[in-house]
Amino acid sequence: MAKLVLSLDGEVLGYHFLEKASFGIGRKPENEMQIDDSSVSKEHAVILTVGNDQILEDLGSTNGTLVNGVKIKKHILQNNDVIDIGRYQLRYINQKAKPGVDSDRTIMMMPVMSQRHREEKSESPAQTATLPDTAVSVARVANDIFPLGGIKGLQGPLAGQTLELSRPLATFGKAGVQVAVINRRPHGYSITRVEGKKPPLVNGLAIGEEAQLLQDEDQIEVGGEILRFFLKQTA
Amino acid sequence: MSVRSALEISTITDTGVVRSFNEDTIATEPDLGLALVADGMGGYKAGDVASGMAASIMMMELKRQLRETSPTASRIAEMLEFSVGRANRAIHQAAQASPQHHGMGTTLVAVVFHDNRLHFAHIGDSRLYRLRQGKLQVLTQDHSILHEQVALGLISNDDAKISHNRNLVTRALGVEAQSECEVQALAVEVGDIYLLCSDGLNDMVDDVNIELALNSLQANLPLTVKQLVMMANDNGGHDNVSAILIKVHESFPAIEQSPGLFGRLFGWLK
Repeated sequence: MAKLVLSLDGEVLGYHFLEKASFGIGRKPENEMQIDDSSVSKEHAVILTVGNDQILEDLGSTNGTLVNGVKIKKHILQNNDVIDIGRYQLRYINQKAKPGVDSDRTIMMMPVMSQRHREEKSESPAQTATLPDTAVSVARVANDIFPLGGIKGLQGPLAGQTLELSRPLATFGKAGVQVAVINRRPHGYSITRVEGKKPPLVNGLAIGEEAQLLQDEDQIEVGGEILRFFLKQTA
Repeated sequence: MSVRSALEISTITDTGVVRSFNEDTIATEPDLGLALVADGMGGYKAGDVASGMAASIMMMELKRQLRETSPTASRIAEMLEFSVGRANRAIHQAAQASPQHHGMGTTLVAVVFHDNRLHFAHIGDSRLYRLRQGKLQVLTQDHSILHEQVALGLISNDDAKISHNRNLVTRALGVEAQSECEVQALAVEVGDIYLLCSDGLNDMVDDVNIELALNSLQANLPLTVKQLVMMANDNGGHDNVSAILIKVHESFPAIEQSPGLFGRLFGWLK
């Protein structure tokens, strides 16, 4: 179970388990964690537990709520987050709340709506809501290890231009005639034929059906374009 | 044009990088414009049983019913609901009957293309996307705690990336005796591309990059579907990844076996 370790000026004062679905922090005694100090608002912040998430929300406190030094309105707590409430600090300890993907397999649980008792300024769910359209945070780092590459146009519509290849894929050539895709992958860049009767050329040689790794200075001919692939030198 | 020749379908299912076996099941029947993705869950290999049962029962029921002559749109919605109900009951009973299958269940996204329309049902967090005029749009609302958190305004879309609730679905086939299922229908346009996928894809690959792949590579659908899985695995491949791409090349009006409404109207006017 998650816990909060309360400290002031580096001295640990005690800890609290986050047992309730709604855990209030503030000066008033009604709070699950009462901190009787003038730097803390009467109802300073609340931590809501929803599934595996514990969401810290500032309740419009005078001095604000900070997480790892950054002022927040709402924040999904991560293991070892440090929360500033007035002069006090709270460390959030929850081994399960690590950034990234859960190793746990999918499980089913009751919808939030039927679990929750707190009044909600619901902005009519379903119909109008936009889905979280992003992948998990760890899904983004994998491609940042290998040096960035790009192409320089030597002939054709991209002649004289230099393009960085920072996205996972980019296509070149002429739609309906001959197209190749260059993929940015964790271990480097590769080129694959997309369409066209004749295969594109790399250094004058036709590429096969399988993806082919690109090397610095490789020259690509596709759909009437001539491009030079380059890798940026890492500092 | 028959639905088979109007639609181009490419499929893939992959274990991913981290897991040791694949509990996703995919199925298609091009002759009838049918496709589905099921992402199983539950103890040791039970998820595989659940998704496999969902796929085989759904396909069997839908094939049997769709071979009836020229079903109406509302009839297809009923068929989907009925088939989902059957699959749910069968999985639930199997789960009750054996301890090692106890608690197993599966997500489902199933589509029927018929008479220039797309009918779809979904349960859980497997998704249906549509690419139209270069824009990717998700047509299903995940039945998940994460989606509810965002819908209720508890967390922002941006916060969703660091949520720990990705694996919590609020609905699944086979977990309870009764299952709720939403069936929707939309008009199809020539040039549309539909994507059915398990969360192993959209959890690992940003929508913007799914859109990029569909837009750039659609001239080669088998390559597109491979590249989707490649991106998911390059980003970590934490889960099984399944994807079905369906591209609409032509319109596919149903052939009237007996005079339809219009036929009858014209009949009266003569």
